[in-house]
Amino acid sequence: MITESFNPFIVAQKQFDRIADMLDLDPAVRDILRQPMREIHVAVPVHMDDGKVRVFRGFRVQHNDARGPYKGGVRFHPHETIDLVRAMSMWMTWKCTVVDIPLGGSMGGVICDPHNMSLGEQERLCRGWVRQLRPNLGPLRDVPSPDVMTNAQHMLWMLDEYEALTGEKVPGFITGKPVGMAGSLGRTEATGYGLIYALREALKEEKIRISDTNASVQGFGSVARYAIELYTRLGGKVIAVSCWDQSDKKPYTYRKSSGVDYEELKGITDRYGGIDKIKAQELDYEVLSGDAWLEQSVDVLVPAALENQINKETLSRVRSSVKVVAEGANGPTAPDADKVLEERGVLVLPDFLVNAGGAICSYFEQVQSNMNYFWAKDEVLGKLDWKMTAAFMGVSELAKKKKLSLRDAAYLISVSRVAIACRERGWV
Amino acid sequence: MSKPPNFDRLLFGSEERIMRIGNGELGGKAGGLVSIAQRLEKTFSGSAGFSARAGANLRADVKVEIDIPRMVVLTTEVFSSFMKQNDLHEFVKGEHSDDRIAMAFDRASLPAEIVGDLSALADEVRIPLAVRSSSLLEDAMYHPFAGVYATKMIPNNKPSRDERFAQLREAIKFVYASTFFEGAKQYRRSLKDISQEEKMAVIIQEIVGTRIGDRYYPIVSGVLRSHNFYPTGHAAPEDGVCSLALGLGKTIVDGEPSWSFSPAYPKAPPPFNNLGDMMKYTQTRFWSVNMGMNTDYDPLGENEYLSKGDLSDAEFDDSLRFIASTYDLRSDRLLPGVAKKGPRVLDFAPLFYMEDLAFEDLLKDLLKMGEDELGTPVEIEFAMNLDLKKGLPARLGFLQIRPMVVSHEKVSLSEDDLKGDNILVSSEQTLGNGCNEDIRDIVYVKPDEFNPDVTTQIAKDLGKINEQLLEEEIPYLLIGLGRWGTSDPRCGVPVLWGQISGARAIVEAALPDMDAGMSQGSHFFHNVTSFEVFYFSLPGGADKTIDWEWLSLQPKESETQYVRHVRCKESLRILVDGRSGRGVIRYNG
Repeated sequence: MITESFNPFIVAQKQFDRIADMLDLDPAVRDILRQPMREIHVAVPVHMDDGKVRVFRGFRVQHNDARGPYKGGVRFHPHETIDLVRAMSMWMTWKCTVVDIPLGGSMGGVICDPHNMSLGEQERLCRGWVRQLRPNLGPLRDVPSPDVMTNAQHMLWMLDEYEALTGEKVPGFITGKPVGMAGSLGRTEATGYGLIYALREALKEEKIRISDTNASVQGFGSVARYAIELYTRLGGKVIAVSCWDQSDKKPYTYRKSSGVDYEELKGITDRYGGIDKIKAQELDYEVLSGDAWLEQSVDVLVPAALENQINKETLSRVRSSVKVVAEGANGPTAPDADKVLEERGVLVLPDFLVNAGGAICSYFEQVQSNMNYFWAKDEVLGKLDWKMTAAFMGVSELAKKKKLSLRDAAYLISVSRVAIACRERGWV
Repeated sequence: MSKPPNFDRLLFGSEERIMRIGNGELGGKAGGLVSIAQRLEKTFSGSAGFSARAGANLRADVKVEIDIPRMVVLTTEVFSSFMKQNDLHEFVKGEHSDDRIAMAFDRASLPAEIVGDLSALADEVRIPLAVRSSSLLEDAMYHPFAGVYATKMIPNNKPSRDERFAQLREAIKFVYASTFFEGAKQYRRSLKDISQEEKMAVIIQEIVGTRIGDRYYPIVSGVLRSHNFYPTGHAAPEDGVCSLALGLGKTIVDGEPSWSFSPAYPKAPPPFNNLGDMMKYTQTRFWSVNMGMNTDYDPLGENEYLSKGDLSDAEFDDSLRFIASTYDLRSDRLLPGVAKKGPRVLDFAPLFYMEDLAFEDLLKDLLKMGEDELGTPVEIEFAMNLDLKKGLPARLGFLQIRPMVVSHEKVSLSEDDLKGDNILVSSEQTLGNGCNEDIRDIVYVKPDEFNPDVTTQIAKDLGKINEQLLEEEIPYLLIGLGRWGTSDPRCGVPVLWGQISGARAIVEAALPDMDAGMSQGSHFFHNVTSFEVFYFSLPGGADKTIDWEWLSLQPKESETQYVRHVRCKESLRILVDGRSGRGVIRYNG
């Protein structure tokens, strides 16, 4: 969402400019990377259930495909803007590149509110969006995946429409499909597990045993949940979890100093990731305010729900015990807070590196779909761990060598890799 | 014993030779190796790790390097997570055949917390690997489980990391599955006082060997034992015994022909009647890891990546130079080495003539070190590689060490004690030592019904009777024809140890047309000794040495077409003199 004071595309461009200066990129390279390569704006007419036709505005922004086909989500949101989609497409390029998967970055969206649409209307919208963008999409051009308010069902409708238009079975057209319908095992766990793989490596480098650490987590959605599960299995202790309460329309933090029991919490969670407050109290969880997760005396903070959670205003509540912040959400740490944390010696694991597990697994799904041969779950997760670890090590090594923050090092790696690809292709 | 360091992808390729994945237990086999490794390190301090030459007791010019082949241990914690995350505890409670269990385990996923390490390992390592079991109960009960669980060898040489990773995962899951195979379950049931659940650690270990063409194998594999139950010539039981084979040690542990001798008298004449017998009964085939095209895709099979060659293959590989002798027709004797043309015999004679190897001293030192470490007689498995052209330098990989049970009860039997009335069985070739007067039940293979075509069925019949007697906690005497525990059903009854694990005494009578020398695999043999089972060998056959008539008069408990179970009114008296090797089983009236 864009407010008057916050334009994500301007933020993304500022980030890029800083890195471009550090790399001393020449003007042509800057120019090509500062803007998306292509933007497609579409109008999608949909026959609504009431017999009327409504025209929805949609986009597909393709930032850069120098390293491989575009890859990016499709968002359905009433406040969708082209600038947000532009920013997301650029961030997607950096994310795919920092974990070294051969893909470019794109992002798409439709201005709509699926909550107010029947399933039939949503299906027709998905099919219409694909019809409009058909020449620009495809397994070797641009591969969509689920994002905000889109899910596996939407992906299947889009796939079906694409296959109807091409007259071929093309499971690699889209990712995020259900297992058994050309989806990949391990996809659900991938982002949360990937985050913990990176955290594990970071702690190793800090010479801290994961079993000696405790953590506080914001969120109990798919990223946070699987992160908590794996972190606990590796011996870590999560003492606080914060999540949204649908009936009270506000978040709460659930705390247990002896350590939350992942299975127990999962058992009292609704399908939207909300924890049942009453049952939690019965299970001896303290129920605290929604932002109390931030002020716990823990070693690790995992913001895995919303952006801009650690900022100038909230920074003073972050305890001195915190050694690592692992950004599960996109943009949970504001740039000014990031700087202060760095000065305090807190290691911030940047979002586009540590939450790239989903993108990696999405790539794995695409590979499997293109082969029409699907891997065992431990094969997927083994490769995910290997990729995440290799990426983290690369970033960490550069950070140490150049005395940079992990975020800057990650950006440097990404931007320089894409710049090199553009040059080697002879574009600039 | 301190635990080895955690597996670290950055450390791999460093001097660390033993690492672990997970925080659980190491299990018996891995624990034994870690303590021996630490012993080597302590004994030879100042050397870099334990790849240093174990030369303290050897002459300074000895050119052999002794080490523990590089290994990574997946601790029991990983096994527990695997079982829990895949809901396999419930599954294994059901009745399933071994291949169904292997299939279910193969389809399950290894825990997310370790698969990245395995993937990294597959990326780093390109040499053949042995994936071995290391059971927790072995450790907890101070009881070695020889050959009960699976070992899988993988070539690990595919160009694609993904394929190597897949082979490794399949092998680990196969070893896990073998924890619940029928033979393993029966074996555990035969142990008393098991108060805890079995958990499996897994050793992933470099295979010591050389690649020659599509074969990868060590030039020498060996099993060394502190105690020799069959000493010949001047050798004493406490001098120990060593068995050697070309290729993978599977030849020895499975009981295929190998070369056995006392380390005290390594050059003593072999116990064969003539050279013809020697050529017939020494090793002629050997196991290797198949590094070429694998035509038998069988992730559920233990031997999927193994192949068997014969002496002409070894000759072609030029791997006989330091381990074979050649029959010289003109002099009618064996000449060490392969300089001349002629039939080859794997008698390992050239090894003992290599002064710079000091093989004899090496074996003695290994035994001593093992005995000092464990404080008991031991059994050691090793593999040795030689330079194919020059012989030296050599590398000896220490693969396994386990305690050996030796009874010191004093029983003395003379030749006259083997004669007289009321003797069911007597033999000059027995295993074990002591006296047993608790057995009334006898399970025997009916001699009139026996033929080599039905031995697999006989094994099944015996398994059922064994299970029932185990449940009732009734010990029994087992009598049969042919070699027990053979892998070849034509040579005897191919029982797994678990199918006869309740027998406290076993009689093996030779078939008329075969050599009845005691040549069980070292795993079978190890079980016989470690469970202190009396073993009677009747090389002359069964006709005159077993009182079949008396047996047929005993009251029957159960019977199948091939097997009969009887219960005597009074206990048998079983005596075995471990020093002389004589034994006798007497009945009352």
